[in-house]
Amino acid sequence: MRHLPLLSALALIALAPTAIAAGDAAAGKAKSTVCAACHGPDGNKPIDANTPKLAGQYEDYLAKVLRDYRSGARANAIMGAQAAALKDQDIDDLAAYYATQQGDLKEIPHK
Amino acid sequence: MSRLLITALALAASTITFDVTAAGNAEAGKKRAYTCTGCHGIPGYKNTYPMYSVPRIAGQSETYLVNALNAYKKGERKHPTMAAQAQSFSDQDFADIAAYLSTAK
Repeated sequence: MRHLPLLSALALIALAPTAIAAGDAAAGKAKSTVCAACHGPDGNKPIDANTPKLAGQYEDYLAKVLRDYRSGARANAIMGAQAAALKDQDIDDLAAYYATQQGDLKEIPHK
Repeated sequence: MSRLLITALALAASTITFDVTAAGNAEAGKKRAYTCTGCHGIPGYKNTYPMYSVPRIAGQSETYLVNALNAYKKGERKHPTMAAQAQSFSDQDFADIAAYLSTAK
């Protein structure tokens, strides 16, 4: 029982990285200028049908994809080069920004 | 010279034919895409190991979807379930599925 303060402190430390890693959509918007050149200003109007829409995509999926481009797990010349410059916080911010934009993306309708 | 011209025309014609063949039919694609709804039709559905949300793909860019399916089929994009699904489809199926998904309301 006398270890309670220590345990509490450890719990706080364990929680802290999660709080820091959460994406900030406003910060993501500020970092999205380069992305907008191809994916469109809000991520919903890409320059061609070859380029995916990002607006309204799941935040954790966007973050995973950017990390896969950065590591090379998903190979793409353009996105590999773009993602190489991103820190974890940048990725989480960008994912938060695009996930909160309104767009065409949705689940496949059941009808 | 005329033989060259004929060859050129034949090549041009074959290119045009290919494009027409590859054009997607959304109605046919809707039938092909039935299986997709099992994961991509459920809001918040999660992939496991690793855990992340299955992406929303209805309304997505048409050519991007074709490229993604081809990448799974060839193994350039690695995902066991998607690789298995992609194996069973032809280029025409991919075009049809993408035509449906990109315009699905």
